[in-house]
Amino acid sequence: MSKKKVFSIAEIILGIIITVVTLYLNFMGSDHSMRGWFLIVGLALILLGLYMLPSERHNQIVNFLFLLPLVLTFLVTVLIPFALGVFYSFTDWTGVSYTEFIGFDNYIEMFRSQDYVYSFFITLIFTILNMIFVNIIAFLLALLATSKVKGRNFYRAAFFLPNLIGGIVLGYVWQFIFNKVLTEIGPGYMSMLTDPNLALLAILIVSAWQYAGYIMMIYVTGLQSVPRDILEASEVDGANKWTTLMKIKLPMIANTFTVCIFLTLVNSFKQFDLNLAITNGAPSRIVGGKPIMSTEFMALNIYKTAIAKNRYALGQTKAVVFFILLAIVSLTQVYISKKKEVEM
Amino acid sequence: MKKKLLVALLIGAVGITSLTGCKASPDASPEGEQQTEQGSGEETEQETGEVQNTGDAIRIVNGKIEIDRQLKAFAESYKERTGQEVIIESLGGGVDIGGAIKGYLAAGNMPDIFVFGGEGEYEVWKEHMEDLSDEPWVAETEFAFVGGDGQVVGFPYALEGYGITYNADILEAAGVDPADLTNAAAYKEAFEKIDSMKDELGIDAVASVAAEAGEMFWSTGNHIFGYYLSLGLDRNDDTYIDLLRGGEVDEERLGMFADFTKMLFEYSDPSVLVSGTYDDQLALWAQGKTAFVTQGNWIDPSLPDYGVEFATGIAPLAFLEEDTKGVLVDSPSWWAVYNESQNIQAAKDFLNDLVFSDEGQEALIKEAGMISPFTVSDVEPSTPLAANIKTYVDSGDTYAWDWVKMPEGIAQNSLGVVFELYAKDELTKDEFIEMMGNALAEYVAN
Amino acid sequence: MGEKRRFSNYILEIIGIIISIIILLPFVLVIFNSAKKSAEIVISPITPPEKWSQLFINMKNVINNANFNYWRAFFSSLFITGVSLALIALFASMAAWVLVRNKTKWSNVIFMLFVAAMVIPFQVVMLPLISTFRTISQFTGINMLSSYKGIIFAYLGFGGSLSIFILHGFIKGIPYELEEAAWIDGCSPEKTFFLVVFPLLKPIHMTILILNGIWIWNDYLLPSLMLGLNGKIRTLPVAVSSFVGSYVKQWDLILTAAFLAMIPIIILFIFAQKQIIEGMVEGSIK
Repeated sequence: MSKKKVFSIAEIILGIIITVVTLYLNFMGSDHSMRGWFLIVGLALILLGLYMLPSERHNQIVNFLFLLPLVLTFLVTVLIPFALGVFYSFTDWTGVSYTEFIGFDNYIEMFRSQDYVYSFFITLIFTILNMIFVNIIAFLLALLATSKVKGRNFYRAAFFLPNLIGGIVLGYVWQFIFNKVLTEIGPGYMSMLTDPNLALLAILIVSAWQYAGYIMMIYVTGLQSVPRDILEASEVDGANKWTTLMKIKLPMIANTFTVCIFLTLVNSFKQFDLNLAITNGAPSRIVGGKPIMSTEFMALNIYKTAIAKNRYALGQTKAVVFFILLAIVSLTQVYISKKKEVEM
Repeated sequence: MKKKLLVALLIGAVGITSLTGCKASPDASPEGEQQTEQGSGEETEQETGEVQNTGDAIRIVNGKIEIDRQLKAFAESYKERTGQEVIIESLGGGVDIGGAIKGYLAAGNMPDIFVFGGEGEYEVWKEHMEDLSDEPWVAETEFAFVGGDGQVVGFPYALEGYGITYNADILEAAGVDPADLTNAAAYKEAFEKIDSMKDELGIDAVASVAAEAGEMFWSTGNHIFGYYLSLGLDRNDDTYIDLLRGGEVDEERLGMFADFTKMLFEYSDPSVLVSGTYDDQLALWAQGKTAFVTQGNWIDPSLPDYGVEFATGIAPLAFLEEDTKGVLVDSPSWWAVYNESQNIQAAKDFLNDLVFSDEGQEALIKEAGMISPFTVSDVEPSTPLAANIKTYVDSGDTYAWDWVKMPEGIAQNSLGVVFELYAKDELTKDEFIEMMGNALAEYVAN
Repeated sequence: MGEKRRFSNYILEIIGIIISIIILLPFVLVIFNSAKKSAEIVISPITPPEKWSQLFINMKNVINNANFNYWRAFFSSLFITGVSLALIALFASMAAWVLVRNKTKWSNVIFMLFVAAMVIPFQVVMLPLISTFRTISQFTGINMLSSYKGIIFAYLGFGGSLSIFILHGFIKGIPYELEEAAWIDGCSPEKTFFLVVFPLLKPIHMTILILNGIWIWNDYLLPSLMLGLNGKIRTLPVAVSSFVGSYVKQWDLILTAAFLAMIPIIILFIFAQKQIIEGMVEGSIK
């Protein structure tokens, strides 16, 4: 046995000992302050030993070590919580523990509660309106930014800028604009955020403002990919701009449209930051004799159910349904793109 | 012991830490881990102190950011006098202070003294509260927080009082005597009179009230609604709060309250009413544009910012037909001593010093503009509204803050909205009563 | 024809300028009002400030404000974003390379899991995530919730999917012959990767850094849940939000805080405009 081998095997064994002992301590309920570091050191020693071990299976070991970091983090932050989340939606989970399995009770309560049903529909309305607004504006901006106008690059940058700033910060800025600046327009002019319908419109405005520049750039990329010779040929044929746009450009970037429409659909549906910072669900409106937050979209509704109202299981149930709806949208997109590919 | 030995052996074997490091560690709290963590980050100044609650400094989590500066100044003087270091950590008003402290507990980073807001939070924290019944200051106050088992656990650091605060100059010009404002009829008459004289008085509206649910729920859902719960009752009479905790309301009383509230809303500036923030509400009144504002003595420190020179006072939100002369005064929150703290005695000494030393009372009353809950104190408030509240305290015309006994978060999650809708005229009086009843019943049921 | 073209170009130019003004107006308002006192904002929120020097007074107030603590938040954000990005770029490249070059049943399953997980919205995992992390912290003594390592760990988990997906597509396009040459020279797999493959990934790393960087820098929900609104560690969005959350809405300070939070990104954008736009667009199309 080579020295290296002995050393690495010793390392692995030491690592295993440390890990096992630390785990033993953990199971015994120790709260020793260094136990966390011991565990990390123990595991690190095992991995290091494995790596240094001269072996015919070195390639496989390296593969394993290369995959480990992301697979581990992915497992712990996404897959396990996801599985637990689905499970918890069938229990009376309190955010810390659960005592019993209650079947579909959470789901039944959820569909019976007015605030959820309302939130579902308002989110749907917002999503559809936002998708339409953003895409129309973005496409028109893209036409402008691909025309022969001077300073195109400046426009692109300017239109794109709002997208880079976080929704939370922008939301507060816009809350200021709606509550303090726009109310200056005339005496007795009430802030848009005090009326349920206008408040929704306000979020739509900010969302379009923030998001259109981004979608615009995708359209720009699409429009630029239309081969120049085809455009030139149509010009030679005497087609005017309108015909070129309708007959050549639009059909050629159909794929871009699909991408943009689904991107805005999914992102509008998941809207949270702006919602939280601009209205936080307010104002309320009366539905069926009960006050209901008129602009509380689903993501915010989930958050508030769990965090503010401390009903974790119910919030988690809403989140599971939220996931299912999004999954349906995404699968539809995959289906449509696949179909298109076949047609082409 | 066996475990410790094992651990010591391990450290020796691995050689990542010297044995001296190990000897120190078994006694260390779980923060040992966090400290190393912080070493790698960008931690500065006070934060390094914050985590060392095993050390000698005592740490206080204060819930009133407004008095942060004054408390820190007092902590300085306390250190000079006694050599005991005190770290003040103030959390802002809108943030979830209870949640923050829960986080500290989970992270093993509990302060020695922490703030709690009332019965709801007492239930959460009672396991962690030191019994303070034998402390000298207990005999000096009737505002200490007494837990369900009769133990004194909450230190009342100050009193606050509220009702409807008036601009005495405007009332005088309108010929209204604030001393008469002790029943609903008197208010109606005064409001009508002032409203008819708006132009002469140079005001925009009679009152400055803010009822937007998102940010002002605490003003409507807690403070104003607090009058429904406590007005006219003995300090220890729990009639309406008990009813509420059973999910019920007294419809007749609530009806009178609704009439009064409606009147308040009708005579308020409409824009501030539905969309104003605390700042807007206060600014409107402080600039002399309304005669009344529904806030309490905590606005004292802000008055100089607006250059307020007019005389002020606080009157009760007397919504009943019969006379009620008192305003709602109580300790807004209490300080508890963490019972697993390493510094229990030092924390207790600090609290006593706050009460019995001149420096302590000066800091709270003169500097922070608050009202002393302690009879031993002869420091008089120097700010106008605090002084005004003190006269109510001295004459015994106070009602308790029963609203702090409401279920946690009820104003924010439920009642605030009902007030907002009522303010926007989307509810009639009957609908308001019904919706309040339903909202309470539903909230209590969950 | 020429006349007409020039004329229509003028119109387009005017439209472009007007739209730019509308889009940039909120930023202008932020800058204007960051340089005003509270009372001045109430009186005239639209006009330019009387004295620009007030901007520095406000900035000083905000930076020194105990509830905001700008520099700490800034460096926390920088540290979290920086370390997360470096690790995502490194680990995702390693993982994607293994997944591309070792076609087995397992590698397919792992890859499909990563791809499928892109559909999972944060909302459905956030609550169990917190409780899982809390359990791990309690059990092992490794503080996962309010620590840098915990949140960076989480960003690796959430950033991994898209990054692996993009890198997977890119690595597939790298000719295998390059690596083969290294193999033949007797290079170990890790050497082959770091000496031959990794340098080739530079252009796609740019995309990955930008996509993840913008998201992590601006992210609010994850740090607010994991670190808490008043924790020892706060990122910029969390600090702004907790600052706004105080009872008294001091717009002068809030807007200054917003201004200070925007500045780093705007400066970055001015210098790396092209790369940022390209990176974000590329990431979306894939």
